[in-house]
Amino acid sequence: MIQQPQYSGATSKYNFPPPTLNDTTLPQRFIELSLRSIKNIHNNADSALYQPYETQTEETLNPTEEITPAFTGQTTLKPHTIQLKPQPNPQPVIAIDVSSIKIGETQTGILLALRAATVWKQNGSGYRYLRLGPFPFHITEENKQEIYSLFNQYSRNQQEHGPLTNTPSNTPSLINMQTRMTTLLERWIQTQIAAQSQNSLILLDGSLTAGTNDTPISLLSQLLETAHRKHNTILAFTKTTRLRLNGINITDLIEKTPPPSLLQIGGYPTTPYTHIRYLGSIYIAKLGSNPHGCAFRLDIDNNTPTPQAIEAVEHLIANDLVTDGYPETLRLAHIYSTFTANEVIGIQRFLAQTYRIRIVQRPNIRRLLFGPYGKGPES
Amino acid sequence: MTSMRLYRKEGNTIQILSFPHENTEKGDYLQIEDTRQPNRALIVQVIDVQFANVPGIIEELLRDTANNEDSAHLNGHDFDPLEVASHIAYIQDSRTLICKIRASLEKGKISTGGTWLPSRSQSTIKQLPTASLINLIKINHTLPINLGETKDSATFNIDATSLDGRLNIVTGKKGTGKSHLSKLLALGLIQHGAPVIVLDLNGEYANLGYGGDGKKNEYNSKVHVLTPSVNFKVTLAQMKLRVMLNILLNALNLPGTSAREFRRIWQFLDEHASLTLHELGEAIRNWRCNQHVKDALFSRYYSLVNSGFFTDNPSEATSLEECFHLMRNGGALVVNLQDTSLVDRQIVVEYILGKLVDLLTQQKVRAVFLFAEEAHLYLRETYWDDIVTRMRHFGVFTTFITNQPDTIRENIYRQADNIFLFNFTNEHDLETVSRAAKVDAETVKSIAFDLPAQSCLLLGNAVRDFPIVAKVRSLNVQTMGQTRLFFSPKPNA
Repeated sequence: MIQQPQYSGATSKYNFPPPTLNDTTLPQRFIELSLRSIKNIHNNADSALYQPYETQTEETLNPTEEITPAFTGQTTLKPHTIQLKPQPNPQPVIAIDVSSIKIGETQTGILLALRAATVWKQNGSGYRYLRLGPFPFHITEENKQEIYSLFNQYSRNQQEHGPLTNTPSNTPSLINMQTRMTTLLERWIQTQIAAQSQNSLILLDGSLTAGTNDTPISLLSQLLETAHRKHNTILAFTKTTRLRLNGINITDLIEKTPPPSLLQIGGYPTTPYTHIRYLGSIYIAKLGSNPHGCAFRLDIDNNTPTPQAIEAVEHLIANDLVTDGYPETLRLAHIYSTFTANEVIGIQRFLAQTYRIRIVQRPNIRRLLFGPYGKGPES
Repeated sequence: MTSMRLYRKEGNTIQILSFPHENTEKGDYLQIEDTRQPNRALIVQVIDVQFANVPGIIEELLRDTANNEDSAHLNGHDFDPLEVASHIAYIQDSRTLICKIRASLEKGKISTGGTWLPSRSQSTIKQLPTASLINLIKINHTLPINLGETKDSATFNIDATSLDGRLNIVTGKKGTGKSHLSKLLALGLIQHGAPVIVLDLNGEYANLGYGGDGKKNEYNSKVHVLTPSVNFKVTLAQMKLRVMLNILLNALNLPGTSAREFRRIWQFLDEHASLTLHELGEAIRNWRCNQHVKDALFSRYYSLVNSGFFTDNPSEATSLEECFHLMRNGGALVVNLQDTSLVDRQIVVEYILGKLVDLLTQQKVRAVFLFAEEAHLYLRETYWDDIVTRMRHFGVFTTFITNQPDTIRENIYRQADNIFLFNFTNEHDLETVSRAAKVDAETVKSIAFDLPAQSCLLLGNAVRDFPIVAKVRSLNVQTMGQTRLFFSPKPNA
């Protein structure tokens, strides 16, 4: 049994999702969909899988999306520094991350793989993780709508919001499917964790910006509401931010402040995009003990009062290791979900062995035409 | 058909990508065939098995370091319903086989060297069973000596003729089975009617004529054990002056001036037909010469007397001619040097080698196979070259057996026709043996390092220069020469 004492029910060894989850239909359908999409290549007369020229890493392919906000009246804003004191009260820390990678191309679509990891720590015990996947998907023009609908449907609380109606027009293009599926799976797992745990700190990779194609406002609001109802606090860390205040990168503003500390901007973030909503208050967090350590943008639910938000961060630094200013649970979740080049080869072998999919090297046209000058953006 | 793939070639080294299920080991032979050129193939031998340089492996291993139930710091579970993890693990465990090109095969005909290189994309690679290799390289089996079996459990014989006229070395660290193999070789030669002389330093060969149960075995009548000063004595009349001078000069370090005086005394006694130990003593006593010379001669004389190897009683004396006559249809003369002092050992060996040369030059003996265990303990420095050059031409075909390879000179390794190499873990020892000209140093170092006990790597003429690993068979002879132990169990315990 995996230890998850603060969860509303114990999570057994191999359970995706845990048996106490309200909605257990996604995983089964998720796996079925994964299998069906791959069989789809196998049934094709020419079941060849074209190897991508280079294995793109998650970071290059899927950078954390940040729609840079601006602050109203920012020239008069005075960021407020908050010195943090670690709060020794034990509180579970849970982190979630999802990775995806392109495995190859087929004549009709793309093959990608998804993997999720949740890592948690509590009561001074060690770190525990649950890794889900990898799940290979073959996305074609024919099945992309079905796949996207499923992801979208189960990433939303159907009872409260009803399923999103997907039409061919709002289904993303093949190229964007990878990012969308990754985000939707991530949001789904985050929501499940938020619903099952209580009095916990839930760490997310990214910001609390809603209204984008893959994170509808309703979806993120639902996540925050669920967390709030269960007395959980969601802390969203953005690894790299382009956010500037008076022309200065926001993370540089905290440079001279001794850690651990938070920098509260105070202003209300806005954006020229009317459909974008910032559901979190933006802080700059410098959590490590090193005065020259890294600082990160930290989004905390707008509905969480500031003292409670500060207290949550103080609990985080007392309950989790902080290395280079970044929480260890989130770092581990990233490490456990991310794909290595060898794993890509392993997945290709799985496809070749199980479904007799031939892996062929597609000639690199740039290299073919331009020789050593044809490296292009991929290198 | 295997899924091995040709990966790269550098010099005569070929790297092959192999997968965990293929179970290829060091020493195995592989045949690389090019599907576009069906009549051609390359024969390579695996000399090392390494993990393939799989991208991302370090990240995976570091990530999985704590991935077990015992780790208090970090553990967890994977939900992998499609069982992709087994495929990832399979890639993680893939290997690179480092191989040496041994030969190329064209229309069933084998040839060493050649510049042909099969296609990387179109080649198929399969294991070449040792039995098939032996057939291909046409190892002659008219006079087989069964050594045991190959790694793939096929019977492994060498031909007695591959030892004929050859210089052989059996080497390996203690307890790996050198003496055992030497006994197999000696008995194999006897079986085919060859005369064998064993210089038995530890008394290990004395009971070759008895089975494990202590009863006489089929070789009993052919094994003759001679123990110096017990049943192996000689008269001075049996010796030539040259042999005696060699003993005095080399074993007893007689100065040159004294040796000249000794020569005169010997010639005097020889002319008067009174070459006996007693007369020799009297002659030295009465000889007119410098007192220092006389003292030097006396001290050597008493050494000869005290060795017990010399006698004035012709009925006590052993005739090597007669011994060879007894072995005319094959047999072994085991000279048991176990309880013989260093000086006496040298006296005995000088006598035997001198006598052998005499018998061979006089055509009284056709040829003899000499097994010399730890020869550096009784063979003088100048004999090494003599044995591998001059005496070889007379018909003394030596097999050196040692666990200290650096006691054999480099030029001996270079001239060795067959090397039976057992395990060595010491790099210095491996470096020494790797100087043998019969194979590249890498092969020797890599394969010998991992050889299990009772397995040996054969190099040279006996295997047509195709190194083969063999598991040496057991032998039903009484074991001797075991180390006496203080803590050994009591017989009635």
